[in-house]
Amino acid sequence: MANKQVQDAYIVSAVRTPVGKAPRGMFRNTRPDDLLAHVLVQAARRVPSLDLKSVDDAIVGCAIPEAEQGINVARIGLLLAGFPNTIAGLTVNRFCASGLQAVALAADRIRLGEADVMIAGGTESMSLIPMGGNKLAFNEAIFEKDANLGIAYGMGITAEKVAQQWKVTREAQDAFAVASHEKALAGIANGDFRDEIAPYEIVDHVPDLATHQVQVKKREASVDEGPRAGTNLETLAKLRPAFAASGSVTAGNSSQTSDGAGAVILVSEAALKRFSLTPLARFAGFAVAGVPPEIMGIGPIAAVPKALKQTGLKLEDLDWIELNEAFAAQSLAVIRDLGLDPTKINPLGGAIALGHPLGATGAIRTATIVHGLRRRKQKYGMVTMCVGTGMGAAGVFEAL
Amino acid sequence: MASQERFFVRRVAVLGAGVMGAQIAAHLVNAGVEAVLFDLTAKEGDPNGIALKAIEGLRKLEPSPLATATVADAITVANYDQHLDRLAGCDLVIEAIAERMEWKRQLYERIAPHIGSEAIIASNTSGLSINALAQALPAQLRARFCGIHFFNPPRYMHLVEIIPATGSDAAMLDRLETFLTTALGKGVIRAKDTPNFIANRVGVFSILAAFHHTRALGLGFDEVDALTGPLIGRPKSATYRTADVVGLDTLGHVIDTMKSGLPDDPWARYYDAPDWFKGLVDRGALGQKAKAGVYRKQGKEIQVLDLAKGDYRTSGKEAVEEVVAILKNKDPAARLAQLRASQLPQAKFMWAVTRDMLHYCAVQLESIADNARDVDLAIRWGFGWREGPFELWQAAGWQQVAGWIAEEIAAGKTMAAAPLPAWVTDSGRTGVHTPAGAWSPARREYRPRSSLPVYRRQAVPDRVLGEAANLGTTVFETDAVRTWTTGDDIAVVSFKSKMHSIGEDVLDGVMQAIDEAERGFRGLVIWQTEPPFSIGANLAGPSAPRKEGPKPSGFASMMKKVKRSAESAVLKAAHKLNVADALMAGRLEKVEGVVQQFQATSLALRYSSVPTIAAVDGMALGGGCEFVMHCDRAVASLESYIGLVEVGVGLIPAGGGCKEFAIRAAAEAKGGDIFPFLRRYFEAAATAQVARSAEHAREMGFLRATDRVVMNRFELLHVAKAEVVALSEAGYRPPLPARRIPVAGRSAAATIKAHLTNLLAGNHISDHDYLIGSSLATAMTGGDLDPGSLVDEEWLLELERETFMALLATEKTQARIEQMLKTGKPLRN
Repeated sequence: MANKQVQDAYIVSAVRTPVGKAPRGMFRNTRPDDLLAHVLVQAARRVPSLDLKSVDDAIVGCAIPEAEQGINVARIGLLLAGFPNTIAGLTVNRFCASGLQAVALAADRIRLGEADVMIAGGTESMSLIPMGGNKLAFNEAIFEKDANLGIAYGMGITAEKVAQQWKVTREAQDAFAVASHEKALAGIANGDFRDEIAPYEIVDHVPDLATHQVQVKKREASVDEGPRAGTNLETLAKLRPAFAASGSVTAGNSSQTSDGAGAVILVSEAALKRFSLTPLARFAGFAVAGVPPEIMGIGPIAAVPKALKQTGLKLEDLDWIELNEAFAAQSLAVIRDLGLDPTKINPLGGAIALGHPLGATGAIRTATIVHGLRRRKQKYGMVTMCVGTGMGAAGVFEAL
Repeated sequence: MASQERFFVRRVAVLGAGVMGAQIAAHLVNAGVEAVLFDLTAKEGDPNGIALKAIEGLRKLEPSPLATATVADAITVANYDQHLDRLAGCDLVIEAIAERMEWKRQLYERIAPHIGSEAIIASNTSGLSINALAQALPAQLRARFCGIHFFNPPRYMHLVEIIPATGSDAAMLDRLETFLTTALGKGVIRAKDTPNFIANRVGVFSILAAFHHTRALGLGFDEVDALTGPLIGRPKSATYRTADVVGLDTLGHVIDTMKSGLPDDPWARYYDAPDWFKGLVDRGALGQKAKAGVYRKQGKEIQVLDLAKGDYRTSGKEAVEEVVAILKNKDPAARLAQLRASQLPQAKFMWAVTRDMLHYCAVQLESIADNARDVDLAIRWGFGWREGPFELWQAAGWQQVAGWIAEEIAAGKTMAAAPLPAWVTDSGRTGVHTPAGAWSPARREYRPRSSLPVYRRQAVPDRVLGEAANLGTTVFETDAVRTWTTGDDIAVVSFKSKMHSIGEDVLDGVMQAIDEAERGFRGLVIWQTEPPFSIGANLAGPSAPRKEGPKPSGFASMMKKVKRSAESAVLKAAHKLNVADALMAGRLEKVEGVVQQFQATSLALRYSSVPTIAAVDGMALGGGCEFVMHCDRAVASLESYIGLVEVGVGLIPAGGGCKEFAIRAAAEAKGGDIFPFLRRYFEAAATAQVARSAEHAREMGFLRATDRVVMNRFELLHVAKAEVVALSEAGYRPPLPARRIPVAGRSAAATIKAHLTNLLAGNHISDHDYLIGSSLATAMTGGDLDPGSLVDEEWLLELERETFMALLATEKTQARIEQMLKTGKPLRN
């Protein structure tokens, strides 16, 4: 065992929805609270021996918790899922790390010895809730200090700044993006996502103007919508910079805007025994760190060493790193500065291909790594990401 | 009288979703007329696929055939196999399929049983004989059939020719003319059923004559285009580029129509495309659509076909100075005499094409048109010429020019030997346009304008040479404005400044006009004798009186206006902001005084005791836009291009424009968050967006829901006056002063600044752009206030004035203004 805890937290169930493209993809009309309720039900269904009444709390990450995913979407999701109303609900926001933060907080309740069964998750609809929310309202004071201008920067601008400072070329970014799509498509073809994805039945309600009837159309979503066959260097080279006039960051080498949700169930050792559960992984540790807002993409450079230190692990100990591809530019800067082994990073592709439903991504990639490590019979995995306004987060999992 | 019966066209079927059919459908929905666009059933996919694809194509065309992006949704699609029953619900059926008699005949047979009992059927053919087509219809439909010839692009070209067939019912023709004129805003000319009707007959002959003389005198195609464009009041595309734009294949078909239909014509041997032309067509070099024709683009270079070389060469041959000087001579008599006397090949060319065109028109007039006015207006409206052939002839001295032509016919110099018709040299004839009307050779009399009631709506119609406009009696007149009335208790103020820019003297004039209107009239209309409405403020001092004659009203100026992007609209703002003098002399206070006066005038328009109406046609930019926003109502022709373009020269709107947008956003928010409503207004002003039609201006918020859009620009004054009467009859009271206006406040300004910060960081804008943008944000959000703070109108006006002055005091704004004045090009600094 790498580090000492009051008690360990074990993941016994981890599921996610397929990820849809936003704002015009398969989940364009699907509510994020419905997506959440779905993954909660599916997570519970995978551990039928667990008595849901024993769950202490559910912590759900969401980056823009308003409107369809507002008024504490964690609690709403639980009630929509038909879970016992004795389970409390907490929505947390650390932007792109919200889902991972939720897993860490849930694990911490167990590791502290104050809970035995916890649910963690994340949900986000970027189709229904725009980036930054329905009402952007910046504080006038941010313009008084240059260091705070980064608060106003869109993520794309921060990626451009990272590309400049870390001298990441357009070609390198595009090549990274192409690889992401290729790995994701191979993963899909290989059935690598089958363990983690809980297919979702999409129900569309559309008017039939001829008959004046509401047409209810149902279709099942079981595959991530983002990976694009035929993505190659030539097609990506044609794209124009999306954020800066003569920049290198394009829509093709940036993460996709997406919709999706994920959920995991964590228990103590005592609960493992009480409900005869098989652990999938042990939660090993988590760290966050702050960096300058205008280069938020380098967040993992600060967070990863902290998480390794906490868990007593070395980089070499990690078998699999889920490095959220907010942008190819920041991914490459992080890989280079930390000296990460590219073969261990995102073996099934990353957010450039698979999509990035902000606050849900941490929970979704937790599901990916927990199942992936077991399938590959590997031991340690890490989920890490950069976070808007200048933060990084990293969580470590040990497969069992 | 049957023609005065109410004839309402609710729905029109357009048969054929080709270039013309689809664009006619677009213009119908622009005008609020439902359109059903038919085509053949698609072989694969959606059976209406052909029409659907045509509608998609409409969205991509430039200049746009659509008044707004959403208006195309009102076109329904149909196919001949499934939907012929829909024809029964159509009041007018316009056939616009390919020019093949057999296809048209088959289609007519197929649709005939489905046509409504009162519906009109018309063919948009440009080539086939209307009487021959009529024969293809069952006898009972023939009385309701005629030709209806739109010009491409139909939204922008004013002309529609109506071609009656022998059996066409007179009342039906009147109804159709009325509909086309008032509902679609078109200029209708009745043409006789002869090949290519009027405009194309004369216009295409003029091209053929140019072909002939270009070769004879060994000129370059680019050289001829330099001569036959704006220099002589015709579109920039002149002769050969027009051929490229139209498409050489299409032009070839039109020439063929003359060849086959006019075998005995004195000019018959010229009704054939020259070999080089056929060569281009054979190689597929069909002009613009094929990216090669008479001209082509190689990399960045424009190349032109050179006949001597047998290949393309760099284009750019100009008109020689001496010839330019002659063509710029304002006296047409002297101009033609000089051209005729000159030995320069370019001058000889210009004389020869002019002479042959006049010769041609004189000989053909009797067979193609009722009278000379119809020919002149048709060519002006259909080809964008500033003056028609007969107008030129008459202006240059009828008998003198007739003598020259006769002399050269006799000398064998003209293209054809046909003598001038006898009426040309009738004793005492000084022309064809007289106060009694225009000469009709067939009737041997002068024909007055149409007495159709629809023309009563045109108080000041488009005129031909010598026709006086009814501009009433003067109430008062200064160097800058004329205020007048036609005895209907309504005052009209018209600006006299160049491009109707607004200087101190115009402001004084408008103030005085408001005073006069309040004293003795039911209301005040701001109406200009020709477009634009106004290109905006001129802060320099007295406005220079207009030096040039009216701009050509046809295709050229239309295209120019519509194609004008925000950037080039900014270019126009150059002239509007003649602040250089004041700046150089350090007289900033004087400028502030003018700005204050501008705001006071805007408020006077808003709060006068009588209704004020802005009658808008063409551009209404900057201060012109602000006048429009402050009148009680705007009545705008569809082709109105409205926008606030001040940012292009480093300033913000300060004639009440920022204030007005702040008030409108607050009203629309209805107590809720103001920012989402303000945001699009900010974007429109911050990027100097100019609306591409009056309906687009409404979408953008320059025009209000209560403002009127008029399809026919010549009906503007009529409708504006009707608005005065309606408002006055409704017991007009000026609005109560706005004293409690909630503003978006500092966090909205900060949110805009956050956006600008990203544009700056991404190198999309400069530091000075950032300053201008954030200044505009401050002015529109009410200043450094808590959101929802209540301010009054004066607060907002002072804020926009102070912000304007602060920007004007910056070196970079001054540099922008200076460069714009010197070079006419915007400065990015």
